[in-house]
Amino acid sequence: MKNFYDFKVDNIIGLSSKEKEFRNKELDLFDKNGFPNKREEAWKFTDLNTILSKNFTNITNDYISLKEKKFELIKEFDHNYLFVLDGKLVSNEFKFEDKNKVSIKEYDYEKQTFVRNQNSLNLLNNALASGGYSLEISKNYKFRKPLVVYNHFSESIKEQIISYKNSLILNENSEIKILNYTDTNSKNNFFVNSFDCFKLKKDSSLKNIFINKNRCNCYFHNYQKSDLEHNTTLDNYILSTGLKFNKMDIEINLNEEHAKSSVFSALSLSSDEHQEIKSSLNHNSKNCQSYQKIKNVLNDQSRGVYQGKIFVKQEAQKTDAYQLSKALLLNDNAEFDAKPELEIYADDVKCSHGSTSGSIDLDSIHYLKSRGIPEKKAYQMLINGFLSEILEKLPEDNLKKFLIEKLGR
Amino acid sequence: MKTEDLKNSKEYKYGFTTDIENIRAPKGLNEETIKFISNIKKEPKWMLDWRLKAYNRLKVLKEPDWQKPKYPKINYQDLYYYSAPKSSSEKPKSLDDIDPKILETYKKLGIPLDEQKRLNGIAVDAVFDSVSVATTFKDELTKKGIIFCSISEAIQKHPDLVKKYLGSVIPLSDHYFATLNSAVFTDGSFVYIPPNTRCPMELSTYFRINASETGQFERTLIIADKGSYVSYLEGCTAPMRDENQLHAANVELIALDDAEIKYSTVQNWYPGDENGRGGIYNFVTKRGACRGKNSKISWTQVETGSAITWKYPSCILQGDNSVGEFYSIAITNNHQKADTGTKMIHLGKNTKSKIISKGISAGKADNMYRGLVQIKNKASNSRNYTQCDSLLMGNKCGAHTIPYIKNNNSTSTIEHEATTTKINEEQLYYCNQRGLDQEEAVSLIVNGFCKEVLQQLPMEFAVEAQKLVAISLEGSVG
Repeated sequence: MKNFYDFKVDNIIGLSSKEKEFRNKELDLFDKNGFPNKREEAWKFTDLNTILSKNFTNITNDYISLKEKKFELIKEFDHNYLFVLDGKLVSNEFKFEDKNKVSIKEYDYEKQTFVRNQNSLNLLNNALASGGYSLEISKNYKFRKPLVVYNHFSESIKEQIISYKNSLILNENSEIKILNYTDTNSKNNFFVNSFDCFKLKKDSSLKNIFINKNRCNCYFHNYQKSDLEHNTTLDNYILSTGLKFNKMDIEINLNEEHAKSSVFSALSLSSDEHQEIKSSLNHNSKNCQSYQKIKNVLNDQSRGVYQGKIFVKQEAQKTDAYQLSKALLLNDNAEFDAKPELEIYADDVKCSHGSTSGSIDLDSIHYLKSRGIPEKKAYQMLINGFLSEILEKLPEDNLKKFLIEKLGR
Repeated sequence: MKTEDLKNSKEYKYGFTTDIENIRAPKGLNEETIKFISNIKKEPKWMLDWRLKAYNRLKVLKEPDWQKPKYPKINYQDLYYYSAPKSSSEKPKSLDDIDPKILETYKKLGIPLDEQKRLNGIAVDAVFDSVSVATTFKDELTKKGIIFCSISEAIQKHPDLVKKYLGSVIPLSDHYFATLNSAVFTDGSFVYIPPNTRCPMELSTYFRINASETGQFERTLIIADKGSYVSYLEGCTAPMRDENQLHAANVELIALDDAEIKYSTVQNWYPGDENGRGGIYNFVTKRGACRGKNSKISWTQVETGSAITWKYPSCILQGDNSVGEFYSIAITNNHQKADTGTKMIHLGKNTKSKIISKGISAGKADNMYRGLVQIKNKASNSRNYTQCDSLLMGNKCGAHTIPYIKNNNSTSTIEHEATTTKINEEQLYYCNQRGLDQEEAVSLIVNGFCKEVLQQLPMEFAVEAQKLVAISLEGSVG
């Protein structure tokens, strides 16, 4: 079979010979198996190799980003921002914050974090990543306003892969809310493979929200690796995206006592969108909590996948872990696949998971219709009700209002 | 169960060997061995061809490696694929012709082989190592037109039925162990229930591995014709040996229109000693097809033995309105590992399935539920309900749940629930307070935890299973 991709480490400018050697090694490892397919447990429900080979003829990594600087700021609420163009940090503004408490730089590949696990896209990221940012927040500093990261992709990208790494360090007792806002007007096919590394020091808190501005034909893969210290909180919110393909692979390590983490997702998918969440919550210490709630509404030929894993180490007694995935299927061509997994080695724990998928309750539709509500509206009401449980959990009123409007309800 | 009983049964009581002469096929897996097996069983040519086809397929297949319980590589050339008690080379005509030592063995195992135990009302087909030794109650069943015999006999006497259904649920090339079984299977049971017949008694097979370095490869085929009903029980034991023994069976069930099959297993193969030495590798493929409309297949299993259990009794719900059920208790202690669960594949309209799985893990054992529920897009108005509960005893064991859920139909509903907990301290305290010692209390609570599954077992088995539950957890608390 002819390969539909052609990646070269030499396309990345300004690498030391040592770095080149490392990257070439990673690329060789990737080339052995290529893009993942269903034979890999992490991609059990998705054959990415086939999906990409159908939609791309030759993906390359030779893209050099333009100096395009125009972008629209969100007006609905006050915020700080980072502007990231095609994976590269272009500008930033922290006008609501104490600038001495925030450090923002380009990502330093000399001190990079990398993972090599069964997901071969991480190898590809190790080989090809350039750009990205490092953000560090000082001790005891709590952000006054949310930070919006504008991830803008140029219209000139076509059949290319964009890879980058970001890092975020929250020092002791710091706090921030981040909105990852993907924005592109491109009608072209392209692939984005990113890697986020979060370090939460003692008593810090991070709320991380993902949403995109409009529909596009791009394929996203994001791997998030988080390490949580004592009494930290990490909440991830993944909202309806409208991306052609999006996979969020979330690894959260609860390394010290009283760390808390949650993953919330409200997705409403249509046409041929594919949205996948894979999470692994690793309880490595006692008295930690994790909570996951995933809600999908699937229409047309869309596909929702949830692979959630709770891992409890032998010493992680008194763990409280919960996982729930629910899906509403509105069309016979839509599909929901779930693999809610528990792997438990400690006995004094409370771990449970639930998963349901099915149609809209016709009795409820009947009830609403008998009260004079037209069928279409009745459906909409029930769908809104189904998703609102997640949306209600969003932080900050103005931000919440903006997001709910963005989601068109 | 009283403490004395528990003490008596503390050791694996089926661990004895029976000293009888065996006829064996030459060691190793090759065409000659397969021809030897086929020849000794006087099989027709089509059967030999079928076996060889499976063997050729096996050459290109790889042993699966995705499962969690890892085991040292099996040397397939170092196994005997056929072992039979010498005295049975001429098929016994009545119980008198059977080697008294074998009868004694079965007596020790408590199998009602003797006609005098007729009162028990269970028809038994006993498989010793590789061959079926005796089938009781034949006359009574024949009167109703029910065929219950060894599969070797069925190949001779009912070739049309065997040809039609053998391999129709588990195809030749299914996976490594199923294909291995197809190539070298030695014996097993065959059941055919004619249309509109309700089998008047429970049918039962008892499997025993006796000889050392033997693999047991039995094959069971059950066909329930239109409107019929059958309940089938299966039990298994093996002697205590230091080496691991392989057991790779295939079980195929076929339910036609309005038919119902109930299949119950109490699996008590030798689990190895407390250091994890020896024990049976139980790699079994069990699959049922609800071919006809309104048909039903129900699997019930109590898994307490084997060093490694690896089996997924499944239902393919092809007929409209068909029903699949799976009730399971898996208990692992010491170094045992169980990776078990089910597959429910909904193809027909209005199909329903229910999965209740209870996993209990103690000592250093690993217990895993792995299952698939798939509703295809033509299976409208289908339903699945899954509940898997795990109980952990001590903090050196593991309990895992890996369900795969695929829904492709907007009018169908899948519900899945799972919990993992330990024995409730308050319940234990309550029992202690009322004079039950720790072990009795645990046994009582565990039996309560498993109640939903135990209820599904036929009466005779339920009592045995309850005892087994208590014995298996012996010494795991305190």
